[in-house]
Amino acid sequence: MQDGCNGLSRRKFITATALACTSALVPSRAFGRPFERENLQVWSCGGLAEAFVPANKYYEEMTGCNLAYTGAFAAALGKSLLANATTEVFGPRVLDLAKKLKAQGKMLNFRPLCFTRYVLITPKGNPAGIEGVEDLARPGVRVLLSPDSSPPGGKATMVVLKKAGVLEGAQKNAIRLGDCVQREVAIVASGKADVSVVEYRIAKLPQFRGKFDVIDIPERFFPPPPIPFTIGIMKWAKNMELAEDFVKFITSEKGQSFFERAGFIPALSEEGERLTKKYGVKDA
Amino acid sequence: MPSISAIQWKRRGTQLIFLWFLGEFSYYGMFRCPFAVPYVSCANCPVVQCPGRKLWLSFWLILLCSAIFFGRAFCGYACPGGMISQVLGKAALVRGRMKGLADRLLGIGKYVAALAVLYVLFPMHNPRWAIPIRTGEFFHSTTLTFEHANSFWLVRTWFVLGALALGIMIPHFWCRYLCPTGGILDILKRFSLLRYFKTEACTDCNECRNICEIETRPEEANCTNCAACPEICPVSAIEFGWKKRKIPKIEKEVKVAASGRSGYA
Repeated sequence: MQDGCNGLSRRKFITATALACTSALVPSRAFGRPFERENLQVWSCGGLAEAFVPANKYYEEMTGCNLAYTGAFAAALGKSLLANATTEVFGPRVLDLAKKLKAQGKMLNFRPLCFTRYVLITPKGNPAGIEGVEDLARPGVRVLLSPDSSPPGGKATMVVLKKAGVLEGAQKNAIRLGDCVQREVAIVASGKADVSVVEYRIAKLPQFRGKFDVIDIPERFFPPPPIPFTIGIMKWAKNMELAEDFVKFITSEKGQSFFERAGFIPALSEEGERLTKKYGVKDA
Repeated sequence: MPSISAIQWKRRGTQLIFLWFLGEFSYYGMFRCPFAVPYVSCANCPVVQCPGRKLWLSFWLILLCSAIFFGRAFCGYACPGGMISQVLGKAALVRGRMKGLADRLLGIGKYVAALAVLYVLFPMHNPRWAIPIRTGEFFHSTTLTFEHANSFWLVRTWFVLGALALGIMIPHFWCRYLCPTGGILDILKRFSLLRYFKTEACTDCNECRNICEIETRPEEANCTNCAACPEICPVSAIEFGWKKRKIPKIEKEVKVAASGRSGYA
């Protein structure tokens, strides 16, 4: 049976179309998930877990790879890495840790990932009328502090108060000196405390969403070390192409959106670029 | 009444079902929980992977309900630690030796442990003794937790593991002598609605103690209402159900005297 002026039969046309579609689909499957069944071990500061977990899931679906992710106190992970532990990609807090790992030849390179900031949180409606950090020293204000938490949540908040000149007054007003920020801030959410100093990311945790009023603290009171987070490829990366692609994704617009959603300032933003310069986050 | 083995198979089935639901939570509490007392500070715990964040409240409510109705049945039917003790107890080397004063003195241990736990929970606000590995590979995170825990956490964890392991020498060593939850349940079970109990037909032959894997008798300390003993009783003196309060002997005599049927008239 002949169809049309080019002499192509209907059967041949259908076959050719099917073949063309198949050939178009096969490479797109192959190249759409370029790291199918490849493995990558990623470690990061635990504070980043709320951002990394969904970002990793997205990346796994996109590339077909399997990410083995560990998020824990960066200083502890860093201590392990500086000793005998290994991982393929590491996202530490504190610039010095990245520099130290680089100096030891364990981290091949790093780049800015995101930044944190400290804020005041009050119960919804701010019943004590807190307006600024100086109010923590005001008599009668019930302050909640967690000095024994891991340093970015504990010691760093003490430095904020010290730099603001209210440490002594805030300590006098403290109704509790805790050791776990996430557990203690529930006391603020319940209204049993009037105010606390935390990283903004804490106010964005799913269990606390909408339970606090957030008041900014001027940047001049922030202690520099816990502010920047970096991400770098370690010398143990077995599939360098995958490690590089992952870091490229995490620092891309899409990857950075997960960090912004979790309460961080993405490095890939105007503010992030300003902070990158301010804190000197660059791989020397 | 179903045969003893049928009840025991049902109990094993229940244990497996609870192992499915509670096993991971149990593991996290033991090896990943950063707090001094695990299983209680779960609502805002930083370990995001732990299933306890969703389970803990219903877990404690179910435990309380089971204590009201069935006393210490949780230990024998649901507790993963109890199940491990049961498995180890099968190979226990020293059976039937822990009795008398030694058994009673060691038995105080679980009440002391319960008091210690309450002290750490309330006046001390359940301090954090380990660095939380917020999320990570299953076993690797456990090694990291051990690596970065403080001495108190390590002592606590090795102590519990050691006591559990002792179950291979003395059956259910942890459950009988040191488990704080067991201690609290043992107190609560005095008020439970349903239980296995000995009737007045009991001859104290101790057949029930001999068959019991925890080496106890119905209603006595550590009995978990496991249902292993009723069929073994030679005089059928073990029953299950609501036990009426026993009238103290002296009160009974007064009542008899008041009714004028003392038998000495």
